[in-house]
Amino acid sequence: MSTLEERAAQAAGFADERLGVARFTRKSLNKIFPDHWSFMLGEIALYSFVVLIFTGVFLTLFFVPSSQQVIYHGSYAPLRGQRMSEAYASTLNISFNVRAGLVMRQIHHWAADVFIAAIVVHLLRIFFTGAFRKPRELNWVIGTTLLILAIVNGFIGYSLPDDLISGTGIRIAFSILLSIPVIGSYLAFFIFGSNFPGTSIIPRFYILHVLILPALIAALIGAHLAIMWHQKHTQYPGPGRTERNVVGIAFWPAYALQAGGFFFITAAVLAALGGLVQINPIWLYGPYVPYKVSYAVQPDWYMGWLDGALRLMPSWEAVFGPTIGGHMIPNVFFPAVLLPGVTFGLLFAWPWIESAVTRDRSEHNLCDRPRERPIRTSVGVGVLMFYIVLFLASATDVLANTFETSLNLVLWTLRVLLFVLPVLSGFVTYLLVREIEHLPAVGVPKTAVEIRRTVDGKFELAGLAPGGAAEEEITELPEEAARAKSGLGLPTEAEGGAVQLRQEGGLL
Amino acid sequence: MKFKHVSGAGVFVFGATMLVAVTAVLVSRSPQLASSVAPTPVPHSVKRAVVYTNPPARLIPEGKALFAEDCETCHGPQAQGSSRAPNLQGLGAATVDFWVSTGRMPLADPTEQAFVKSPVLNRTQQLAVSAYVASLAPGGPAIPSVNLGATNISRGESLFAEDCAACHTITGVGDALANNVYAPSLYPATPTQIAEAIRTGPGNMPRFGPGTLSNQEVGDIVRYVTYLQHPNDRGGLGLGHVGPVAEGFVAILIGLGSLLVAGYWIGGRAG
Repeated sequence: MSTLEERAAQAAGFADERLGVARFTRKSLNKIFPDHWSFMLGEIALYSFVVLIFTGVFLTLFFVPSSQQVIYHGSYAPLRGQRMSEAYASTLNISFNVRAGLVMRQIHHWAADVFIAAIVVHLLRIFFTGAFRKPRELNWVIGTTLLILAIVNGFIGYSLPDDLISGTGIRIAFSILLSIPVIGSYLAFFIFGSNFPGTSIIPRFYILHVLILPALIAALIGAHLAIMWHQKHTQYPGPGRTERNVVGIAFWPAYALQAGGFFFITAAVLAALGGLVQINPIWLYGPYVPYKVSYAVQPDWYMGWLDGALRLMPSWEAVFGPTIGGHMIPNVFFPAVLLPGVTFGLLFAWPWIESAVTRDRSEHNLCDRPRERPIRTSVGVGVLMFYIVLFLASATDVLANTFETSLNLVLWTLRVLLFVLPVLSGFVTYLLVREIEHLPAVGVPKTAVEIRRTVDGKFELAGLAPGGAAEEEITELPEEAARAKSGLGLPTEAEGGAVQLRQEGGLL
Repeated sequence: MKFKHVSGAGVFVFGATMLVAVTAVLVSRSPQLASSVAPTPVPHSVKRAVVYTNPPARLIPEGKALFAEDCETCHGPQAQGSSRAPNLQGLGAATVDFWVSTGRMPLADPTEQAFVKSPVLNRTQQLAVSAYVASLAPGGPAIPSVNLGATNISRGESLFAEDCAACHTITGVGDALANNVYAPSLYPATPTQIAEAIRTGPGNMPRFGPGTLSNQEVGDIVRYVTYLQHPNDRGGLGLGHVGPVAEGFVAILIGLGSLLVAGYWIGGRAG
């Protein structure tokens, strides 16, 4: 009998002799990743997606994607005897009768909310550090596509239970489709299979939600990671770091264990939310009936900016041609179709817009500090503020109720802020960033300060270099410490005390 | 005509046997279902869901004195109304009882929507004022009392979603409507106050008369609203039942926020 190690080596040898994987594996395991907390935002999204897949598979075992009307005879008394769709009845069943059904539903929903939030924060990091610049424009486009797909799939998933609130959301979506000039009514009927509500939309949404969109998202995540792997991750400038190298921790074991640990932390946070905090208690909303409506219907947070835009938009309509008989574009079109079209169009185009303005066509593997690019940073803050105001506008009623003020006052305040805040915040950001340029010690790591008391009772600061800490060079980089901790020891190729691992040539 | 020959006792025995048999079948098929259906047995005498009673007439003199003290300045000595306040004659006891028992009357501030506060009058005084105003002119509903045992919560849910949720929201938490008007939270309301509000339509609320909702339906709605005051909060913290706005803040601030802290903890920091 051979030992476990010997058998593993035999298996590895078998694979290597046939597939030649040893070289690839060795290279991959030694691949260097820059270690910085802000490079882990996309990981949160990735791990939330994994949690979404696992919990989602569980939910498909019990969810019935059907608009077939049934009489509810389940265990939730306040709805017993009512007519409802099988989709809603089966969601009640998942919530009340399936073992662990509710906690799975809630983890799934929290994971979706966190998934998209992590994508947005990841996008902001990429934007403000200029990590979208050549050669990474394609990954920027893939990432933006992933954001759109995630938002669409989130909305569709939220709609599947067919409760009163989500049904109202589908109703709004139908109206938005109708508002598209010329093709609107054809498109709406094509997607819904009939006039609203019809019986086709739940099964169609279901197959989009559980098969087509997740497959697209998974494929694009694969491409996103493969391109990142091939192009290597960006890094912040620092001692020993250049445009042509990558300084950081090796994939195995340091990075893999860190990333693996982060997966479990993400799963734990999502499970804790799913177990402790209620989300979307559909049993309190009742089944969707087209003539019933609840006040204060909001979508999930990632649709909030669109809902907010609908709320803030005045009731203006554009009529082309004669007033009577001309082609009218309803006011829903502008906030709900034009706004997202422009938003994502500009997002897709941003790398090219910026390089056209800066005339910078060179490759960049070192990230910018946001303070180094005052214009990009202030434009980004201003635009972000525009969407934050739109996002808050989806809660006009809740804000008015919470602060006991008039709904109209909140509405008009946000209408004004929508234009004032972006300009103001962008301008203030620009001033602050320019101000930082004049500060002497920005970007220099702080050194430890020790306060000592002398024998005659005075206090003095020890170890503080006068006039900034420029003299206190960092002698050991954190990744050096991490590498030492991981047991690999220090690599021999060191330069000025910095750990430097060169990686040359492509992997594939 | 066959039934004429069957004695009353025979019908009773037959009915009771069938009831036991049906129940037994239900129990054997689904114990969970049967046990939760059981609390609504066939009543011996038909109980009415809502009963309206006027407060006793002996309270009228006390009510007249209290009215002169607390209400007359605006509503006038005979409750006939003035430029400041509406005529109360013929509105009935339920209207007056709703406004004074929720503390809305006497008004705190005549320029804004009356809000719930602790009542100025005690229960007897509330009834006394109601009795006095009801005695001035006929008309309007008397004070309803709801027999929750004779109501149907599921029909109540359906009617609530149809008639109430459009302003009070589907969870009954209330919300701001247009301008300064708001639909108040239903959580502090008593069954009597809910029925009074439905029947009398206080403030901006529409009045749901007997032609719109039967007494049984009013009782059903009251039953569901009392359920909403302490709903089944399976799944953890209810977040005030305001829906996705609160959920979004939890997802972003607590969910993503704690993950950012964790990432900062395990990730590298120095540039």
